[in-house]
Amino acid sequence: MLRIRDLRTSVEGKEILKGIDLEVKAGEVHAVMGPNGSGKSTLAHVLAGRDGYQVTGGDVEFLGQDLLDLEVEERAHKGLFLAMQYPVELPGVNNLTFLRESLNAVRRARGEEEMDAVGFMKLVRRKADEVKLDHKLLKRSVNAGFSGGEKKRNEILQMAMLEPRLAILDETDSGLDIDALRTVADGVNMMRSPERALIVVTHYQRLLEYIEPDHLHVLAGGRIVHSGGKELAFELEERGYGWLLEENAA
Amino acid sequence: MTLQSQAVSDFQKATQHYIAGLPLDRGAWLTDHRWSAVTRFSDLGFPDKRQEAWRYTSIEGLLKQGFVTSDSDMEVVGTEFEHHFLDGPTAGRVVFVDGAFQPSLSDTHVPGVRINNLRSAMETSDLETLKSVGTLSGPGTHGFSALNMATMRDGALIRVSAGLRLDAPIDLVSISTSSASGRAMRPRHLIVLEQDAEATLVERYLSTSDNAYFTNLVCEVLLEEGASLVHQRVQQESPSAYHLADLHIELQADASYRGVNLAIGGAWSRTKIGNSFAAPGASCELHGLYLAGEGQLVDFHLDVDHGVPGCDSRENFRGILYGNGRAVFDGRILVQKQAQKSSAHLSNANLMLSRRAEIDTKPQLEILADDVMCSHGTTVGQIDPQALFYLRSRGLSEERARRLLCLGFASEILEQFESGSLQDHLAELIQQKIGSETKGAS
Repeated sequence: MLRIRDLRTSVEGKEILKGIDLEVKAGEVHAVMGPNGSGKSTLAHVLAGRDGYQVTGGDVEFLGQDLLDLEVEERAHKGLFLAMQYPVELPGVNNLTFLRESLNAVRRARGEEEMDAVGFMKLVRRKADEVKLDHKLLKRSVNAGFSGGEKKRNEILQMAMLEPRLAILDETDSGLDIDALRTVADGVNMMRSPERALIVVTHYQRLLEYIEPDHLHVLAGGRIVHSGGKELAFELEERGYGWLLEENAA
Repeated sequence: MTLQSQAVSDFQKATQHYIAGLPLDRGAWLTDHRWSAVTRFSDLGFPDKRQEAWRYTSIEGLLKQGFVTSDSDMEVVGTEFEHHFLDGPTAGRVVFVDGAFQPSLSDTHVPGVRINNLRSAMETSDLETLKSVGTLSGPGTHGFSALNMATMRDGALIRVSAGLRLDAPIDLVSISTSSASGRAMRPRHLIVLEQDAEATLVERYLSTSDNAYFTNLVCEVLLEEGASLVHQRVQQESPSAYHLADLHIELQADASYRGVNLAIGGAWSRTKIGNSFAAPGASCELHGLYLAGEGQLVDFHLDVDHGVPGCDSRENFRGILYGNGRAVFDGRILVQKQAQKSSAHLSNANLMLSRRAEIDTKPQLEILADDVMCSHGTTVGQIDPQALFYLRSRGLSEERARRLLCLGFASEILEQFESGSLQDHLAELIQQKIGSETKGAS
């Protein structure tokens, strides 16, 4: 589904990603871990197409297409979704209006019919229940005044509505208490399917107790320095990142 | 001779000629008022850029258009304008087409509300109604308002009886057609709410053509003790039109005025809102949203005068500018020495969608009392790139994302229009207006 080859990316002239290779197949869940400043969020953002990241080398293939050649919204239309670490507050933009516009934009791009108001409301209520998002928040402005947990649930709700092929969760666990973490993880687990892949970017191993990855990669200094199965998470919990960084330097 | 002084003498002659030609049965009693307004006009002349209040707003283009004061006797029947009426129940409707009152389109039979029009009040010498006309505005504070007094021919006169609470809005709509082309119309409205009356007035200026004309409006609003008015105003004139509105609001004890103004049309528009508190305990809220695009100028001047203690004022205006659109915002609050325990807050935020757009914003707080709560804030910003990325990452096109963010910015003001269908309609207008302009704006 996703093949990243020797991806190099700079931010303001400074190279952050120094050659990433990663292959993600449909049905798989990959975790990307690493210390602060290792380039985890940069990887997530460059895949979603955020401004300010210069790709200086390598390529990314997503469902057989050159991902880096696509506009931000085209990536979303193709089925890429980024759940953000810091969801943006949009005062005055109604959450329901936003969700509906978003869903219909993606449906149009897929050649499907737009969803009518009744069908949409049914769907959004059901999905909101699944991610335990208070229905009152649907009527408010997007993320404006939401708590950290509510913002993350709202991200998962968007993901559940758009049903992407590949979802990237960027530090979705940051700032969450244990209950919120569990709800968010449940929401993510519900999305697991043989047709869908997930990349979970996280600083802490905690989230992986709830979302079990098939593969785990350690990113450090802009490179994947180690890959393994889910058991690697526990090793990292025990030993920290130090041994990997030393091993890599040696 | 300069353009202006030439224009003043031309206008003076034309106005004198106009007044002399008025039929005697049409408001002859007003003739003295008219002549004194002509004198006033001659003294004041037209405003120019040397005056601080007109520094950023040139009237040269307006004078060059050479609009002619003339009356329309056109009386419209039929349904052609019905789709411009407010949706839902109303407590009266007053319709003007090209400046002339339209009896068959209007609904003036509302128990407890006297709805009349200036022209018929003049024709019937209804002094009871007419005596208040001009009491708040005086003979004019600048040349144009003096000309309004000198040549006014029609307008709405609305008086809501003491204690009456209207649960539906009064619809006051002025529609300009292609016949208005080249003309100056000088409507004058007078709205009085007697003691403890409550009402909502929706006042709109629309056009069915793209022609150039000039609306030179004066509107006086008097709220007696304990009265409460929600005043929703929409300026949606033709894209070539000129629109100059002077609002004079006076609030007596414990009265409450909440106004919301949307300026979206016209090539050139200026709205001056003056509020004065006549007695303690009153409150005045002024909200506004203006949009200015290619070739457009929009100007709002607010002048809130706290001359008595214990009154509240709050002003919140927002602007969206694109293309080479220009806006002027001047919010003046004067808290006089004796006006202790006043509260006055002013906020103006502007969203610039283009580098070529221009805003001149000037909050002016003059506070002479020492026991008051006052604040002001002004911002000028662009669309947040992070917000744009967020929306696009959810599949929205850049154009659609920009529009949604603009509407979000406007929503705080639009909500003041209360009626859902009016809000939706105005949101749609805003989207149409900024639609193509926001695409790849630079």
